[in-house]
Amino acid sequence: MRIVSQTARALALGLTAAACLAGAVSAGEYHLTVDKITIDTGEFTRSGVGFNGTSPGPELRFQEGEDVVIHVTNNLSETTSIHWHGLILPYQQDGVPGITYDGIAPGETFTYRFPIKQSGTYWYHSHSDFQEPDGAYGALILEPKAPKPYSYDREYVVQLADAHPHHGSRIMRNLKMMPDYYNRKQRTLMDFFSDAKDKGLGAAWSDRKDWGEMRMMPTDIEDLQGFTPVINGKGPAQNWTGLFKPGERVRLRFINSSAMTYFDVRIPGLQMTVVQADGNNVQPVVVDEFRIAVAETYDVIVQPQEDKAYTVFAESMGRTAYASGTLAPRDGMVGAIPDMRTAPLLTMADMGGAHGGHGGMDHSQHGAMTESKSVEMDHSKMDHAQHGAMADAKPAEMDHSKMGHSQHQAEAPPNPYYADGSGLSPTAANGGKFLHYGDLKAQKPLYPVRAPTREIEMRLTGNMERYMWSINGIKYADADPIRLTYGERVRFKFVNETMMTHPMHLHGMWSILDTGQGQWNPIKHVVSVSPGTTIYMETEVDAPGKWAFHCHLSYHADSGMFRKVIVEGGPSDKQAAIPTTATGG
Amino acid sequence: MRKSHISTLAISMTAAAALLVAGSALAAGKQDHHHGHGGAADIGKAGKASAATRTVTITMHDNYYEPKGMTFKEGETVRFVIHNKGEFVHEFTIATAEMHKSHAPAMQMMVEHGVLEPDRINWEAAKQMQAKMGHGMHDEPNSALLEPGKSAEIVWTFPKHAALEFACNVPGHYESGMVGKIKLSH
Repeated sequence: MRIVSQTARALALGLTAAACLAGAVSAGEYHLTVDKITIDTGEFTRSGVGFNGTSPGPELRFQEGEDVVIHVTNNLSETTSIHWHGLILPYQQDGVPGITYDGIAPGETFTYRFPIKQSGTYWYHSHSDFQEPDGAYGALILEPKAPKPYSYDREYVVQLADAHPHHGSRIMRNLKMMPDYYNRKQRTLMDFFSDAKDKGLGAAWSDRKDWGEMRMMPTDIEDLQGFTPVINGKGPAQNWTGLFKPGERVRLRFINSSAMTYFDVRIPGLQMTVVQADGNNVQPVVVDEFRIAVAETYDVIVQPQEDKAYTVFAESMGRTAYASGTLAPRDGMVGAIPDMRTAPLLTMADMGGAHGGHGGMDHSQHGAMTESKSVEMDHSKMDHAQHGAMADAKPAEMDHSKMGHSQHQAEAPPNPYYADGSGLSPTAANGGKFLHYGDLKAQKPLYPVRAPTREIEMRLTGNMERYMWSINGIKYADADPIRLTYGERVRFKFVNETMMTHPMHLHGMWSILDTGQGQWNPIKHVVSVSPGTTIYMETEVDAPGKWAFHCHLSYHADSGMFRKVIVEGGPSDKQAAIPTTATGG
Repeated sequence: MRKSHISTLAISMTAAAALLVAGSALAAGKQDHHHGHGGAADIGKAGKASAATRTVTITMHDNYYEPKGMTFKEGETVRFVIHNKGEFVHEFTIATAEMHKSHAPAMQMMVEHGVLEPDRINWEAAKQMQAKMGHGMHDEPNSALLEPGKSAEIVWTFPKHAALEFACNVPGHYESGMVGKIKLSH
């Protein structure tokens, strides 16, 4: 087993001038190259795109208050870009070709200059074509000025991604040609007979008909399958390992840099204390498992007490693959790898707004389909003959004796961030606490609470048959920009009318997710909208310029679930650009 | 130093015991009580201020203490003056790691019943919880639960031998590092 030490990674950083550590004003100068590289996940190798010759790129660490100068040289034969995901900066530095600048032409060096005005765990990635799915991403850590509201003995970045053997452009072509090209979990004729046995022929047929009219299937949770989940670039066989001494508190900075894949993350044997989400500290909350949407970050603190290996286990939401790594007191140790749980199936509830006339839909199907999910039970060892019997199984059959003090939480009401009866609503593998958005409370609210000045509705729409994704039924190429005025507080209403989950990302300004907690509403840069749900976020419009606003699923964004946002007005000094340079050679 | 009566509070041991906890969480100063986890832990007892050999100032921040750890002589009586300079509610409790752990569910229950809000103690909710669950808030001599800006005093006589921690059991705070060791020297 190959283990690359953190030191080796740190050395890969192309750092020519260190920040003045003692000075009141510090400026760091950094060099990055964008290179064609080889991706090796342990399951396949392919060509890809990386930074400074690696994927993920070097872990960048800046200090809050630092003015950074980052020279990015494009060694590719196509245009590239780097977007600093989640950073508050002048729009000309945001790195989105076609909106904030022209991108970086082959052979050119672009110099980014911006002040670091925040702290926390973020990431950076190319915003050009499919370079990010092809490997062009890295971790970006901003060290705070103020003391942290938590302490730890060591820390690791745990950057998840869904490395695919196909290049992004090929994947997009295939999806356009045949939207279920990568759905390996299509329901078979045998499944139909099994459904008919469970539900009756009529219900099973009606069910099939509804799904058929939707041009979707209950297994349409991941429209891209066949990938190898990686942690810091390493596939399960390459076993990324973080070392600890028993009793130490370890901070894990989870970043989901996947093109398309949500992960359910747990470390069997350890509870995780979530202390940060999307770079902003949250009031600490102890959980057994959490779901990380594409482009989100979660920082957790764990305290492994035993002298043994613990497995960091991240199953994809559709249960088609898992990432795994190890926390261990010594190199070379491997913990037990859990079985993946049964794949969830979308339900009629997830169809929600997507399906206008439900016609003969029988509500009793809700129950049946939900119960067949029961992800807490171990289905992995079941044969198909048992499936029917298990479909009726109530959670009461679960072993509650192992649940300890968190038992009462398992009986909490259903997760409000999923449609009632949704097949996607997650539960913890050990029956304990599964984080949801309502658990996130801002540690330090960034803005005073005030009434929004207006509401903007964004219906998340799509045509699965043609693999076209859009907002309010209009794809990016045909849409007018969203015009905001400096000083507004805009309430965005997301109505997900599709059956896919969409991680919506607004550049340049914070997304304050309305969880009904007033000043404690969490401050995010990605808001995940589940099928059949409506959620709200509010944005203080305090950043003049031109910004991107899109679904962070790469192939959804590319096919049109994307908007340009123009913020008009504002103080002239804020509108003024920090000089940028583009030099040849 | 004003002693704040309303803020030197901790949840009663009956509340803790009711929540799947084998022994009482905070039986401090009640040495006749039997603990559930492998026998009684002698953590000391409430002391008289006149017997205190020194005064230690504890500052609560979000979410850590100053000082980070403390050393006393075995059997010593210490007066603690505790200030909450954070923006959130914090607790200062002297107990063993095991006792802190068994105290956690009671604190979680207080959050779920709206008694423990991030930055205040909701007394109305506390009354309702008392009426509904039979659990209330009681003074415990080894513990102070403080709203932001509040202060309290504890006088504590340490035992001869004990593995003690001072910690905040507001959910998530212990786990994020709001805990320190108390060493007892000979």
